[in-house]
Order: sequence, then structure tokens, then C-alpha cells
Amino acid sequence: MVTTLTIHRARGFLAPLALCMALVASAAQAAASTGDAAKAFVEEVSARAIDIISDKTTTKTEREAQFAKLLDEKADMERIAAFALGQYLRTPTPEQKAEYLKLVREFIVKVYVTRLSDYNDEKLDILGAKTKGDKQAIVQSEIKFTNGREPVTVDWWLIKNDGDFKIFDVNVVGIWLAQEQRSTFTSVIRNNGGDFNALLDHLRKQIDKAEAGDLSDITAAN
Amino acid sequence: MKITHRTGERQAKARRLGALLALAIGLAAAPHMAAAQDDPAMQADGAVDYNGTDENDPLEPMNRYFFELNKFFDTILLKPVATWYDGVVPEPGRNGIRNFLDNLRSPVILANDMLQGEWDRAGTTASRFGINTTVGVLGLFDPAADWGMPQHSEDFGQTLGTWDVAEGPYIYLPVLGPAPPRDLTGFVVDQFFDPLTYIYWDRPKTVPTIRFAVNGIDQRARSLDTLDQIERTSVDHYATIRNLYRQIRSNEIANGKRDFDDLPDIENLNFDTNEPESPSLQF
Repeated sequence: MVTTLTIHRARGFLAPLALCMALVASAAQAAASTGDAAKAFVEEVSARAIDIISDKTTTKTEREAQFAKLLDEKADMERIAAFALGQYLRTPTPEQKAEYLKLVREFIVKVYVTRLSDYNDEKLDILGAKTKGDKQAIVQSEIKFTNGREPVTVDWWLIKNDGDFKIFDVNVVGIWLAQEQRSTFTSVIRNNGGDFNALLDHLRKQIDKAEAGDLSDITAAN
Repeated sequence: MKITHRTGERQAKARRLGALLALAIGLAAAPHMAAAQDDPAMQADGAVDYNGTDENDPLEPMNRYFFELNKFFDTILLKPVATWYDGVVPEPGRNGIRNFLDNLRSPVILANDMLQGEWDRAGTTASRFGINTTVGVLGLFDPAADWGMPQHSEDFGQTLGTWDVAEGPYIYLPVLGPAPPRDLTGFVVDQFFDPLTYIYWDRPKTVPTIRFAVNGIDQRARSLDTLDQIERTSVDHYATIRNLYRQIRSNEIANGKRDFDDLPDIENLNFDTNEPESPSLQF
């Protein structure tokens, strides 16, 4: 009698406990698999980016086109563009917004192909990942240089969009790049009395400047 | 599951960039000095950054003026000297000078390691000083880094940061560069942790002045390409430097740790949440 009671009690107690443990285990597993998926994503994207930048047989224009394609597939461009407007997110008209999205994509491609152009055949090691829910992850990585330069840390902030990971921001040696863009974009708008067109003008100028810079680089190389 | 960077070299690198941003100039399109007051969006709210800082730049016109001034002196003086130094002094020589200056700063770093309660790092700093001053020939070499004790930096501005002292409004000064109240205070307090201050208290400041100048030239030389590139790819150079300075400082204060808690909520952020009361715009 006593034994039966104990068993009953034990069952009544064990079942929820088992359920709890199962839940905890599956949550941990989900977290682990989100992290693993994030790491795999970064592995793939970085390998493609390094291929594009290391291939010196292509022209700069071709490299930009490949990089743009990679961004379209793997970066959450709309969210980045929205974020970069800060408190001015709701100020553009639909036409301005369309023009802004077009320019900001071109601007990012030009800037990063330029900024990344002195990286060659580097190796990127994935060091770890942390997750927030099942939608966001920060993947920590490190670029090792073949020429003995100090390694550079790169953290990738990913967010799921329609079930697939996309890049939202990248942190290089402690600096979040989208945040840097936002601070300058909002500054331009503010310093022009809130005129959104001022930002569009600045972006156009910057894109032209990057193109002119390319030409002078080529001249110098020749 | 905290991502903890081993800070060492990277930290040193970020620090160099930070210090050099401080010393170096700016460039800047900067044609638009005014207008913040006329801007309705600005009155509505201050945009809060990732790190909880906001634009917070009430002296922007003055700051931009000094930024331009430093840029001018950079163009006519610092950059040419740094370029010359970079070209004439071979790399081992420049590294020796860098190591020597870093080693000389050890007492300041040690004091701040301890004030932050970072005992492991304080131990590293003390060991590095002992090893590099002896085996490393008065600090010209850095054998300690090869033995698993890489360089890191601290200053009293960072110490205040770890005590949750806010940075305060952005201030950009001639020569010094970005110097918001917290970091300017830190700069002054650090002088009192530095034995050289006492050694040269009543004497001509030749040696401290030379150290300041060589340090500036070396840091500028190490960032020639980086700063050129930042200028070339910035929509607003002044604002870029301001943001980079703040990000580098908060990264230094966190000793390279990054956490979702410090980041804004972006999950519902998009162009289509266009209702005025949208809750998604909390950054």
C-alpha cells in the first residue's frame, strides 16, 4: 500500500519532471542548431566574399557586380537601409525611398569593394556563436593573415528573414558598420534641416567619388 | 554563452586606432555647420545608439571648426612627418619605438587595471613590464607577447566607463581630438599615474613633450591608409569619426565583449511599419 502510493506519487512527480527536462533539452538543442546554422551561413558567405575579393583576374566592375549579387542574396538590405535612417525612417516619400534603396545598395557595394580590396586569400576562422531566440545570432570570427599581420576580429549579426539567415550588421575590430553608416546618414539629414534629398545628393556624390577614386588608382598602377 | 574575446593584440590595435583618431585630424566635407535647431525630427527625440549613447553633440559647430583646424595641421604637418617617418625608419625600428612607448605606459595601465578590479590583467601588465624592461632591452622588444602575455591598454576614461560614468557631450579639441568630459578627465588623471610626470615636475618638459610627439607621429604613421580610406568612403567625415570614436571607446571599455543586451531590438524594424505609433522604432 505504501509502496503503491509512493510509486503513484513518484509517477505524478516524474512525468512533469521528464517533460521539463525534455523541454530544456530541446530548447538547448534548438539553440545549438540555430548557432550551428548561423556558423554554417557565415562560413559560406565569407568564403564567397573572399573568393570575389581575391580573384585579381576580374575587373573592379565585375567584382562589384559579384559583390552586389552576394549582398542581394545574403544581406537584409531593406532592414539595413531602414536602420541607417534612424529617426528619419518615416520622412522619405515613396519616390525618395525607392531612390534611397537603390543608392544605398550601390554605395555599400562601392565602399566595401574598396575597403576590402587589400585583403587577399585570407583565412576566416569561426570562433563561436551566440543566439537570441531562434531568429538572431552573433557569429564571432577572426581573419588570419598570411603575411603575419595581427588577426582581425569580425562579428556577424544575423537575423532570419523568411526562414533564412541574412546579414544585418558586421562588426570589425569593435566597430559596427551599419551603426557607423547610420550616424553619418542621420547627420547629413539633420545638418540640412531635415531635407531627405540632401542625403540622396551626398550618396550620389560619394558614389561618383568612389568611381573617380578607382580611375585614379588604375592610373597610378599603370 | 558569453563571447569573450581574448583582447590582447586586437585591443592594442583598436586602441591605436582610437588614439590615432584622437590625435589625427579629420577631414571632412563639413560644409553644413548649422541647422540642428530647425530640424523637427531632432526636437522630437534623440536617436539612441547601440551603446545607449545618442547624438549628444551640443557644441557641434565649434567641434567641426576644431576638426577642420586639426585637419589643416594634419595636412601641413603631422601627415607629412608621419609619411616621412614611415618611409625612412625601417619597420623593426618603428616597432621598437612603439614597444618602448607602450612599455613606458605600463604604470598607467597597471593603475587602471587595478582600479577596474581586473586582477588577471593587472598581473599581465606587471609581468610584461618586468620581462620587457629586462629581457626586452628597456622595452624595445616585446618578448612577453610571444610568451602568451599580449599587450592591452587601459586608461582612466575607460575606468570611469566601467564605473558607469557616462561619456557626456561630444567635444573635439585642437591637438587632442575627441575629448568628451569623461575621457578628458581620464586623460588628466592618467598624468598622475605616470612616473614621468613627477620626474619632470620641476624641470623642463622636453622628454614628455618628445614622447607625446613621437607617440603621435608613430600612431599617425600606422594609420595612414586606414584614415585615408575612412575619409574617402565617408558621407560626412566628421560624423564618421565621432561615431567611430564612440564605438571604439565602448568596445575598449567592454574589453571586446559583445552582447545582445547592448544592441537595439531590430526584429520588427522595416519601412512598412509606417504608422506614427509604431512600437518598432525604439532605438
